[in-house]
Amino acid sequence: MKKFLALMLAAIMAFSMVATAGAASLAGTYDITVWVAENAVDLTKAQIEKYNTTNELGITFNATVEAVSEADAGTQMITDVEAGGDLFCFAQDQFARLVQAGALAKLGVKAGETVAAANVPGAVTAVTSGDTLYAYPLTADNGYFMYYDKTVIPEEHIDSLEAIIADCEAAQKYFAYEMQTSAWYLAGMFFGTGCVSDWTTDDDGTFISVRDTFNSANGLIAAKGIEKLVKSPMHLSSSSGSEFASGAAVVVTGTWDYNTVKGILGDNMGVADLPSFEVDGQSYHIGSFSGYKLMGVKPQVDAVKAAALHQLAQYLTNEACQMERFEALAWGPSNINAQASDLVQANPALVALNAQAPYSTVQGQIHGSWWDIAKVIGDDIKLATDEAGLQAALDNYYAKIDALFQLDTSALLFVGAWNGWNNADDTDTYYLKDNTLTLEVPASDYMGGRIVNPGDWGTDKGFAQVTVGAEYIKDLGADNPDNNIVFAEAGNYTVTLNGTEISIVKN
Amino acid sequence: MSENKLLEQNASTIQKHHMGLKASRAMSNTAIYALLVAISIIWLIPFVCILLQSFRVESTWQVGYVIPQKWGFDNYINLFKTDFPRWYTNTFIAALVTSVLQTIIVLCMSYTLSRFRFKLRKPLMRLMLILGMFPGMLTMIILYRVLKDLGLTQANAVPGLILVYIASSGMGYYVSKGFFDTIPRSLDEAARVDGATRFQVLKKIILPLSKPIVIYTILTAFMGPWGDYVFAQYISFGTSSGMNVAVGLYRWLNKDQIAQCYTMFCAGGVLVAIPVTVLFMCLQKYYVEGVTGGAVKG
Repeated sequence: MKKFLALMLAAIMAFSMVATAGAASLAGTYDITVWVAENAVDLTKAQIEKYNTTNELGITFNATVEAVSEADAGTQMITDVEAGGDLFCFAQDQFARLVQAGALAKLGVKAGETVAAANVPGAVTAVTSGDTLYAYPLTADNGYFMYYDKTVIPEEHIDSLEAIIADCEAAQKYFAYEMQTSAWYLAGMFFGTGCVSDWTTDDDGTFISVRDTFNSANGLIAAKGIEKLVKSPMHLSSSSGSEFASGAAVVVTGTWDYNTVKGILGDNMGVADLPSFEVDGQSYHIGSFSGYKLMGVKPQVDAVKAAALHQLAQYLTNEACQMERFEALAWGPSNINAQASDLVQANPALVALNAQAPYSTVQGQIHGSWWDIAKVIGDDIKLATDEAGLQAALDNYYAKIDALFQLDTSALLFVGAWNGWNNADDTDTYYLKDNTLTLEVPASDYMGGRIVNPGDWGTDKGFAQVTVGAEYIKDLGADNPDNNIVFAEAGNYTVTLNGTEISIVKN
Repeated sequence: MSENKLLEQNASTIQKHHMGLKASRAMSNTAIYALLVAISIIWLIPFVCILLQSFRVESTWQVGYVIPQKWGFDNYINLFKTDFPRWYTNTFIAALVTSVLQTIIVLCMSYTLSRFRFKLRKPLMRLMLILGMFPGMLTMIILYRVLKDLGLTQANAVPGLILVYIASSGMGYYVSKGFFDTIPRSLDEAARVDGATRFQVLKKIILPLSKPIVIYTILTAFMGPWGDYVFAQYISFGTSSGMNVAVGLYRWLNKDQIAQCYTMFCAGGVLVAIPVTVLFMCLQKYYVEGVTGGAVKG
């Protein structure tokens, strides 16, 4: 009996503890550090102050707002997560590294749903790794377009890269387009010709596969476009709006330079989407990255403080706060309603960004090393003397991308109709690492290909190894000496490798 | 008569010869001065540009010309509305405290190694020589860890930095020990005979005789923290109130800031240069003596 009583009491105690924990209110005062861009410090202070007085949860934040550039907040955080800001803003390219370093707290289910519903789909993709949301979208203006001097470039020329280069050379004015020092700007040329560099991460932010077609026939076309630009004597590898004050007629940069350019050029400022370039009689509109700036919550020891911080992050990235940021700093909102507002629609820089949008590629999760690997292409192209040289630049790029995954012997390589039978070991375009890969098989006469481990042609994984989804591929029996896997019909397949067994599921 | 003529002739040739020497010396001097002027212009241009840019008020971004179109003190006034005064104070405190402590440590160390003879003297000097060969940057991460655990990073970065700056200062004794070695030991001995203590010898005999080296030590100890970026950047770790000028000003140079902060950055640069320039102007005479003083052993 005594034992039973003791058990009961213990149970009641445990229950009451759970009950209190569950109902624990977030009310209280929290000392926090917030990292935002220098020009947003005052606004953020005011917004947190407003949150303190208006929130109904009884939360008060005693916030220290520090100016830390969004460009290196990620690096700072990774150096010492403990010392980093409780809330911090960063540009999207640092997302994957931050997730891997465990520097971002996951969003709760409810917060995730709210974020997903309120923001544009690209922004939601930007904060997602695997199926998990890790951050709050802050802006959707992290892309680039063209500013130009109307007195140098006539309006009818702004759609043609060649015409703009000719105008710049005639006027001895610079064409500033950061082709040699930044992969972010350079990649737009490749996207313009239909090349892709898609990276996939799992829930922990680890990169599991890449599909990269920079080293292809279309990539070579892009290289020829880049060549036209970088070999012009008036090309300047810069993306600073202030170049207009030192002899530039065109600068490719983003919304953050709007006030600077406006201040220098005044009414002569022109804003437009990027031009097209022509190779072999065909015209290609230059693409771009469209990216986002995000706000992250640092993982906390104190769960209650973490919950309160998530509340604040949600507040700071909501429609009203994004609109305030747009009005004060001209930061383009990622919130659907804010984006649709008339004020935002009328901002010339955002109009240009929107005009560029159809040609832009949403910046997904990209491997941290990619930025350094890709940015040398520009220099390599400048040094190239002929087409073989251009090809060598792309080969060099590809070899390095390849090396990122080379060590993983469990990776798979997909070579076949789906990538135009680029059947040399180093020109594959589909990688599968450990997990799954989505394979796009276009309709063609022979929808077949090989599946091998990277770098080893002898590790052929053929028909016999497909355990699940064998119905999607043809059994060629003795007619299949190459051990190819031949799909019966075109479509989108998810392929999974489990040790030696392959499963194929049609999407 | 003819003799006289000959003498005159001789005199005139001598004079001519003399003129030639003078002319060639003038020529070579002109060439040397022209070269020196050219070099100093090249050397001074960046400083002059920064000075001029700091007075430019018509725009805040980089421009393609040097002479401002509108002059004013706006950049300096705006500077004091930012955290700049705090950074300046931080740097000044760190540099001042470091220069005092480091000078004391270095002079004591040099005196000890120059005048005392003890068993571990040679091994100690050798050890320090070897330790000095390791790049200090290697210790950065571990130092950061230690300072963080002591609570001397971020907002408390200044004491942390002072600790880092003076921690290894004993190893920089070479120049002053060399100088002390040139002062005859018989002076010490005479003072000792008269009843002076070791400390009195240092204070009353050695130090007055080695003014240049003392000033040199103070100057170098002041300059280190004044211009430091790498350690200061690490230890302040994104916290504005713990930054020094180099770290704080550098933040204004990033992509989204430079267009608004460039001229203010230049103004900050000018203010940073002032104390160092003044210090050098006043102590220049001793500095040159100090640098070369330890080199010759008498």
